[in-house]
Amino acid sequence: MNKPKSRRKSNTQQETTPPGDFSFNITKVAVSQICKSVGFRRSQVSALETLTLVATKYLEALGKSAVSFSNAASRSQSNLLDLTNAIHDLSLRAGFTGASTLYDSNCLLKSTVLEGLSCFVRSTDEIPFAKPIERAKEREREGVKASPGNLQRGAHVPEWLPGFPHMGSNEKSKKRVNGEELWENSSSVLGCQIDVLEDKRNGGNGCKLAKKRTRVKFRINGVGKRMHWNRYSANNEFTQTKDEDAEAENKNPVKSKEAQTLVFKRRKR
Amino acid sequence: MNHNPQSGDGKHDDDTALSDFLASLMEYTPTIPDELVEHYLAKSGVQCPDVRLIRLVAVATQKFVAEVASDALQHCKARQASVIKDKRDKQQKDKRLILTMEDLSKSLREYGVNVKHQEYFADSPSTGIDPASRDE
Repeated sequence: MNKPKSRRKSNTQQETTPPGDFSFNITKVAVSQICKSVGFRRSQVSALETLTLVATKYLEALGKSAVSFSNAASRSQSNLLDLTNAIHDLSLRAGFTGASTLYDSNCLLKSTVLEGLSCFVRSTDEIPFAKPIERAKEREREGVKASPGNLQRGAHVPEWLPGFPHMGSNEKSKKRVNGEELWENSSSVLGCQIDVLEDKRNGGNGCKLAKKRTRVKFRINGVGKRMHWNRYSANNEFTQTKDEDAEAENKNPVKSKEAQTLVFKRRKR
Repeated sequence: MNHNPQSGDGKHDDDTALSDFLASLMEYTPTIPDELVEHYLAKSGVQCPDVRLIRLVAVATQKFVAEVASDALQHCKARQASVIKDKRDKQQKDKRLILTMEDLSKSLREYGVNVKHQEYFADSPSTGIDPASRDE
C-alpha cells in the first residue's frame, strides 16, 4: 500500500493497538518463526492468523486445565504434576504411548509426553525470538530501616507512615506442636492487659501517678483572685511535667487554701 | 502417591532424568518468549513462580505448533507431487511451499480443531446470477 506523500510525515506517530492485539501480534511472529523452521517459505495471511489463534487457545487451555487440577487438590499454585496432567488432557485426541494405562502406575512423571518433550528439546535447534526482548530491570529498593515494625509491611502501606508498633515476643506461653496457642495468651491481648493493671493500681491509691498533667491556671471574672487548680485524674497518662514540678505543685494547693482562709477571716473582722 | 519399595530405584532414575530435563530447559530458549507465555497463563489463572514450568509450557506449545505445521507441509507436498510434470516445475514448486488454509484445516482436523474457510465472499445473494433472471 502506497501512502500519499502528505501522510508520510505523520508516519512517525505510532498507532495504538487494542490490548488484545498486542500479544496476538507477538505470538504471530513466534508462530511464523516455527513455520519457517519446519520448512514453509510463505504463507497466506488468514492461515497464519488461524494458526496463531489456535496456538493462543492451546496456551490458555493448558493453563485452564492445570489450574483446575491444582484447585481440585486444594492448591493455588500449579506444579509439575498439574501441568503434566493438563498436557495429557490436550494430547489425548492425537494420542500418545501409554495413554490407556495413565493412572495404573503410581508415578505420573514417567509419562511418555514428558519424554517426547525432552526428545524434542534435544533434537530441535534453538530458535530465538526474532525481536529483542527487554527484560524488566529489578527495582533497586531504597534502604529500609531494619526495625521490627518495618519488616513485614506490604506494598499497600505507604512509606511515609510510621512503622508498626513492636508487639514483643511471647516467650512465656508454652507453644504447641503446630504453633497453635490460645487467643487469650496471644501477645496482642497480653500487652493490653498489662496497661490496665497498672492503671488500676495507681487509681486505687488516688494520688501519685507515673505521669502527671500539666498545671492549669485560670482567673475568675475580674475578682483578682488567682485559683491554682491541679487536677489529678486517674485517666491521664500523657502528661509531660517533670517530677520536681510535681512536688512543687503538691505543696502549693495547701498553701493557697490557707491563704484563702486567712483572707476570709480578715474581712469578717 | 504410594511408594513401591521394589520400584524405588526405577523411580529414582526417572526423577534424575526428569530433573536433568528441567535443567536442560533452562539452557534451551523456546521460540515463544517467557513473558508471553506468562501472560497467557496468567489470563487463565495459573500462578507459577517457577521459570522451568513456564518454559515447559512454552516448549509444549512449540512442539504442538511444529507438529501441526509439519503435517500441513506434508499435505502441501503430497498435493504438489500429484501435479508435477517436468523437473523444472518440481524445483520451482519446492521453493513455493506456501501455508494455505486448505492444508492447515486438514492437519488441524487430526488434532480436534475444526477450521472451515469460506472460499469466496459475495456482495449480495444475487451476485453472479444472469441479469435476465434477476427480479428487480
